[in-house]
Amino acid sequence: MTGDRPNDADDGAARSTEDADVATDGGAEAAAAETEAIQTAGTSLEDLEAMLGDHVLDTEEHVNAPGVVIRPDEVQAVLSTLKEEAGFDHLSCVTAQEYGDRFESVYHLKKYADPTDEVSVVVPTSPEDPTSQSAAAVYETADWHEREAYDLVGIEYDDHPDLRRILLPETWQGHPLRENYDQDRPQIVTLRENANPLQKDHRGDPEDGDSDTMFLNIGPHHPATHGVLHLETVLDGEQVVDVESDIGYLHRCEEQMCQQGTYRHQIMPYPDRWDYISAGLLNEWAYARAAEDLADIDVPEYAQVIRTMSAELCRIASHMLAMGTFALDINGDFTATFMWAIRERERAQTVLEELTGQRMMFNYFRLGGVAWDLPEPREEFIETAREFLDGLPHATREFHDLLTRNELLQLRTIDTGVLEPETCKDYGCTGPVARASGIDYDLRRDDPYGYYDELEWDVITEDGCDNYARLLVRMREVEESAHIIDQCVDLLEEWPEDDREIQSNVPRTLKPDRDKEIYRAVEGAKGELGIYIRADGTDTPGRFKIRSPCFSNLQSLPAMAEGEYIPDLVAALGSLDIVLGEVDR
Amino acid sequence: MTGAGTALAAVGAATTFLQTDGNGEGTESVTLLPEWIADVLGLGGDGGIAVGALIGAFAIASLMLIQAALAGPWLKRKIAAAFWGKLGPNRMGPGGILIIVADSIRMLSKELIVPEGADRPAWDLAPLIVAGPAMLGFAVIPFGEIGGVQIQLADPDIGLVLVFAIASVTSVGFVMGGYASSNKYSMLGSLRAVAQNVAYEIPLILAAGSVVIFAGSLQLSEIVAAQGETLVGPIPSWYALVNPFAFVLFLVANLAEVGRNPFDIPEAPTEIVAGYQTEYSSVYFVLIYLGEFLHIFLGGAIAAVVFLGGGAGPVLPGPIWILVKMWAFFVFTQWARQTFPRVRIDQLIEIGWKGLLVLAFANLILTAVLVGVLEGDVDVALAAVQVIGA
Repeated sequence: MTGDRPNDADDGAARSTEDADVATDGGAEAAAAETEAIQTAGTSLEDLEAMLGDHVLDTEEHVNAPGVVIRPDEVQAVLSTLKEEAGFDHLSCVTAQEYGDRFESVYHLKKYADPTDEVSVVVPTSPEDPTSQSAAAVYETADWHEREAYDLVGIEYDDHPDLRRILLPETWQGHPLRENYDQDRPQIVTLRENANPLQKDHRGDPEDGDSDTMFLNIGPHHPATHGVLHLETVLDGEQVVDVESDIGYLHRCEEQMCQQGTYRHQIMPYPDRWDYISAGLLNEWAYARAAEDLADIDVPEYAQVIRTMSAELCRIASHMLAMGTFALDINGDFTATFMWAIRERERAQTVLEELTGQRMMFNYFRLGGVAWDLPEPREEFIETAREFLDGLPHATREFHDLLTRNELLQLRTIDTGVLEPETCKDYGCTGPVARASGIDYDLRRDDPYGYYDELEWDVITEDGCDNYARLLVRMREVEESAHIIDQCVDLLEEWPEDDREIQSNVPRTLKPDRDKEIYRAVEGAKGELGIYIRADGTDTPGRFKIRSPCFSNLQSLPAMAEGEYIPDLVAALGSLDIVLGEVDR
Repeated sequence: MTGAGTALAAVGAATTFLQTDGNGEGTESVTLLPEWIADVLGLGGDGGIAVGALIGAFAIASLMLIQAALAGPWLKRKIAAAFWGKLGPNRMGPGGILIIVADSIRMLSKELIVPEGADRPAWDLAPLIVAGPAMLGFAVIPFGEIGGVQIQLADPDIGLVLVFAIASVTSVGFVMGGYASSNKYSMLGSLRAVAQNVAYEIPLILAAGSVVIFAGSLQLSEIVAAQGETLVGPIPSWYALVNPFAFVLFLVANLAEVGRNPFDIPEAPTEIVAGYQTEYSSVYFVLIYLGEFLHIFLGGAIAAVVFLGGGAGPVLPGPIWILVKMWAFFVFTQWARQTFPRVRIDQLIEIGWKGLLVLAFANLILTAVLVGVLEGDVDVALAAVQVIGA
């Protein structure tokens, strides 16, 4: 199951034909056409060298992806070749880091049609002049990822449309992930120098005829932002002319905290705090999967079943909250819809509490398995889980009555906040957002892990591309998750008593080989949650990078909201279901 | 409001036209509340009436304020809790009723923050203009009879016009508050409030206008009296039953008028924070909050008087019945709030101008035709048909 590359490749090949079927069913012709073009999964290093020719300076072997090293001024050429000719249409993540003798930007590429086919494009730059070409012209999503790299590591990107700091304030001095960055130097910035969001008012020159627009700050404290997000909006009447997200208010150096912790135990509590809205176990799994593949740790099947079950419970809890808060945005505060969603979420959490001892910050997964078995008496726990599952159909019916079948809600959400499939891919959107745009992409099926490929379930897609489709996808995914949990509970009930191994034998201290690199992702509640780890030969990671689905999804907000009314901007933001803890990390 | 005024004038003209038909049966003289108080106190003349009116107004105002206090901090929460399957306030006093005291102390003791750049006199007056007219509207509401005394402060001939005119002054308060707050969200909220009030006041008044054609009077006591007869068997001839279509129109437009879901656009908390009232705190906020609840009750009272037979009802005295009907309307607004998504501002305007207004006019003209035919006045019916043709 884990780190077994030949098997994965086989799976991928078998799967890609399946994908084509499903995708045509779902009506995503683009996806189907691409799948057809790529008959064999798994692009090898030789393929890449043949395709890229002289561009390749050197090659690297990352744990589950071949890597090519290219010149910093050929980024766009190489990436567009890979995108156009090889079908790598998904720029999953950009990781920047400093080595002793160079800076490096690593572009992790995937295919929406087959995410097991991965490539890492490594762009080294000199430490004296860390300048490299921007990929934003090829992939829209590179915009934010490169801004983050610039902000934290200080790599300059030529041709970047808008190279500003993204997580730290404009006035920050220095780039904190550089080796020569002085942490103890106080950041003294006078109030006058600091950006004052209240000062900017009417933008646009009356003489140019632009004075009809109004600049409006939505957030950082606003009921619709679901946390501390700041939207800089330009309005024409009630219509949104321009919207730009200002993030970073909740930046807590999660990546750097993980770099301080040892692989075995000290990192696992952190993932609970990324997407802190009850998706904890899904996040833990992202770290567990990456670290297990990095250190070649096997996970017993029994533990995989428990992981699958508990992760899906988290998904239900998370989707319930997403629907509730979406209803909040459409209905108004504290309406029955919101409270009922919270009530269902509480029920899911109660089951999770029985299992893990916690309602939100679980810290339940361990490398090589889970912390403990189902609580004794087992029958009682299984009973609790079944009770929750039995109540769920009634709850989802209620939601369909209150939300999806409500004509007023349909009036509000259908054909608003439209995100076309191509735009969606360009922005690297994943999860329910992508699936609501007809993109048949779910890592649980396409890049199987855990126990998912042994179970019966479907990937939900909708072709609406609008706010309504995103709501509907979440609603139906809850039903699918319940189906998965149901099968897991049955399996756990009948699992032979002498075979209940919850953790494999893991060395007390893990020290993966120096310069071993891995980028691994799981299907989180909001989409593809990926972890990049570079080992440096010690028991802590040399570089730990989180690919947050919310970060990429949020980037697509302007594409959805420009030209719409303020209420639809709010609805579109709600339908993205972002958690600022994960956006800002 | 000008639109509303024109519509009213049209209705008024139609009414006087109909009244020349000579169906003005003299109303039996009932004593109004101020006269009765003056009587009891043994005061005569205009001065006595004035004192009586003052005392009566004080009593009715207190009653309404008590209602708003009950509804705002306490019943609203209880109703919401019932929808959520929770208990609601239950720690302070029996059934949590003392939460009203706690809440008022809490809200009044907050700091009154005046935003920088607020347009002072306008900003200070706005809460009064929001709360005042809602209260004033109750002056002409007939609360039903008890022991031969009509619980009503004044019964002018144009009672219906007056009550709508007064109620719509509230939106002036919204605009003042929103504009003077020097806040863009407030500004958006106040603009929305105006757009909404203009769009919905006309269908509201036209729906009520069709009742005027039935009753042949703008005097509220007359309208109530006209509903006293029976329709079929024991069913009273309440206009909600005579013309349910107009009643539904009226209820929908009334929801918009009092700004409750699906039409709570001027506040729309998740979109524009709190709309026109964003910057208000402490006692000013209390006034606006109070004004909103009074407005809901006034809306309920108008609905009760115009469509639900005023204080009519079995066993219990009139004033109790009209209160029951007002509370029913309040519960209805809360129910809508809990379950309906709010529409978008452009959709709201569209529903108002393209939907409700057209339906309200159709209803008005059809009613005119029907009444004309029923009363055998062919001229009126023909005139109405000509209007339709035009």
